[in-house]
Amino acid sequence: MTRISFGRAVLHGTVSTALMVSLMSGSALGAPVDLSKWSPEYVRSIAGTQDFDTAGDCAKVTPLDYKGRLTFWYQGVFEGDPDLLRQYYKEFFENFRKTYPNIQLEEQALTYNDLLDKFRTALLGNAAPMAVRLQILGGTEFASKGYLQPLKPEDVGYSTEDFWPGAMKAVTWEGTTYGIPTNNETMAFIWNADIFKRAGLDPDKAPATWDDVVKYSKQIHDKLGVAGYGLVARKNAGNTPYRFMPQLWAYGGGVFDEASANPTYKEVQLNSPQSKTALQASYDMYVRDKSVPVSALTNQQADNQPLFLAGQLGMMISHPSDYNVMLDLQKKATATDKDKAQTVIDNMRYGLIPTGPDGKRAVVFGGSNIHILKPEYVEGGKVDEPAAKAIICMWTSPEWSLKMAYAGSNPGNLNGFKTKWMKERLDSIKFLDVTTSMLPYGIPFPALPQSPEIMNIIVPDMLQNALTGAMTVDQAADDAAKKVKELMDGGL
Amino acid sequence: MSAIAGTASRGQARRRRIDGWRWSGRIFLVFILLYTALPMIWMLITSIKSGFAAMQFPPQWWPDQPTLASYQKLLDPQNSVGQDFLRFFWNSLFVSTATTILSVIVAVPAAYAFSRFTFPGRNFLFFAVLLRNMFPAVIFLVPLFILMRAIGLVNTHGSLILTYLTFGLPLAIWLLKGFYDNIPVQLEQAARIDGATRFQAFVLIVMPLSAPGIIATAIYSFIGAWNEYIYAYTFLSKNEQLTLPVGIQRFFSENTTDFPGLMAASFMMSVPVVVLFLVLQRYFVRALTEGAVKH
Repeated sequence: MTRISFGRAVLHGTVSTALMVSLMSGSALGAPVDLSKWSPEYVRSIAGTQDFDTAGDCAKVTPLDYKGRLTFWYQGVFEGDPDLLRQYYKEFFENFRKTYPNIQLEEQALTYNDLLDKFRTALLGNAAPMAVRLQILGGTEFASKGYLQPLKPEDVGYSTEDFWPGAMKAVTWEGTTYGIPTNNETMAFIWNADIFKRAGLDPDKAPATWDDVVKYSKQIHDKLGVAGYGLVARKNAGNTPYRFMPQLWAYGGGVFDEASANPTYKEVQLNSPQSKTALQASYDMYVRDKSVPVSALTNQQADNQPLFLAGQLGMMISHPSDYNVMLDLQKKATATDKDKAQTVIDNMRYGLIPTGPDGKRAVVFGGSNIHILKPEYVEGGKVDEPAAKAIICMWTSPEWSLKMAYAGSNPGNLNGFKTKWMKERLDSIKFLDVTTSMLPYGIPFPALPQSPEIMNIIVPDMLQNALTGAMTVDQAADDAAKKVKELMDGGL
Repeated sequence: MSAIAGTASRGQARRRRIDGWRWSGRIFLVFILLYTALPMIWMLITSIKSGFAAMQFPPQWWPDQPTLASYQKLLDPQNSVGQDFLRFFWNSLFVSTATTILSVIVAVPAAYAFSRFTFPGRNFLFFAVLLRNMFPAVIFLVPLFILMRAIGLVNTHGSLILTYLTFGLPLAIWLLKGFYDNIPVQLEQAARIDGATRFQAFVLIVMPLSAPGIIATAIYSFIGAWNEYIYAYTFLSKNEQLTLPVGIQRFFSENTTDFPGLMAASFMMSVPVVVLFLVLQRYFVRALTEGAVKH
């Protein structure tokens, strides 16, 4: 799969999908980064074309000699993450302290699956931090409950047009903006070329449709005895909706009409025939063909990765960070493991996420946002706004929004694509073209306060009910649709 | 002659039956031993693998090239991982030791009072101390968090010590009371006749005799505090205050897990508990048996 073919696919995709229109609002067309031209070639053409003075820009928001104190929580990077990414996080906080030597920063890194729950508990006890960086799902939930202060890119010296319109939707509640995107990501499809070859499949060609995924998965399992597709269905883990929703949308389904150009989120569609077909595909892989890991019901991506790297899994939806993780593992492997690890790297292939039967391709438009809390929910009852804006300005700057997303995501600030670090990234991260190519297919989660409950609980529940046989596919979809409706009506 | 032969064969049959039971018992014990020890052994083996080797299938039963890199990283105060791990370790040690000491200080006289004194509401109070342990810990999570917030203890080790005492004390009091019940009251009376005050009789006669029970109580409190996760996770948000069970979460990321690092940290986390148990196990077993049997 060459870069040219990705480019073609994206160009076709950008023309054909109405979704792209929704991501490119009228205002964005005149933005410094022209989203209407989005393609791997365009991204390469703008990379490294502009320099930015981060400290200078942020000094206009909060003077560099400002004296204050800031408490800040964020989803951190930890030991398993790529070394490069950990290095950039370390550098960011060192740089912030150097740039703002008189701001006493008390930062706390939290793990991905714990951040939302811990933040909710802290809010109940009015012990939240002054600023927080949350996964994309969190914005509207906390904004709708009145915990967050209005905050828009203009408040920290940037323009709303500097950010993906789809990402801005996720921080907007009832017409007011409550946060700024730090990074945005779309995943891609990854497969093991050697497994494909041994199973009699074209090693350099990703399955074109989700029906093909079901077929390929069975073929891999039947011929080689290893799992075909890395299905995940764990509850209360962000990984599950990130992997099931692309399938649901591709078949034409959805929780509501979030995959349409102008979503209204009025009608629940989880039990539509299209949604049921998507659920049936998962059922076929898990129950009928037994071609996915038997542990899929409790798996998340971190469980798929070892299987994939050990040659026990043929294909999965994945981050570009997996490639960097693999490079790190190879670097640290010893003796003959070094060669084995290199073989795994050589066999890794990335491609676009498959389409539905009608050629519809979709992926979750993910990422994170940064917010400022209202004083009454903060420990001590005070928020140091200039200090909070200083860190937000730095994190969402073209430079740092790129560096902090270096190995696993993309910059929230579109000007990050113009920096020299983007150019360096394109040269060093082999599969980056693919994930940037998926960005125009990204669909944001419904910008509703109920989204975390729907995506992290109800959707995985639906999968588990169908896959464990507790309910039929029809019953599981109907049950989930009923729960969503009750939730939207104020129940549950 | 035939009678002797018959007796001998019956004896042999009985021995065979006894041997059969004995061997079944041995096999069962070996099975239990493997069941409990294998995860520990696997944890140790994984901790000396490289990240790639830990993900191999079929697994490397013994790493091709063992490495202590994970341990070096954890114990090196020069790098951030080592600094954090050693700080988490110290925090856990401090919280667990403080909880243990306070637990013993309160439980010893409380259990003695329940054992020796008759006062109105004694039985009610004795069962009331258990009330807290009749509900799942998670029920008290948010109320305790709000309470700790109100008294300014959130983000302090004091919040954990106080919470762990509410869990550990009832069990400690029950365990020690059973132990004091087994110490003949006549020993104290003899000491009193010899001129000792009640307090002296308690300190000089009862406490030395109840040492195994006190040690067992201390081990219980220590292990409970050392392993506790959910309250530590909720009450503490500052990196410099985290305890080990929460701190070792840093080996899990959104998309990947550092298995050798996680296993090395888990192994080192289990060391103090295992050492404590090995050193004091005879007291522990004595406390459990002596406290359970009435004289």
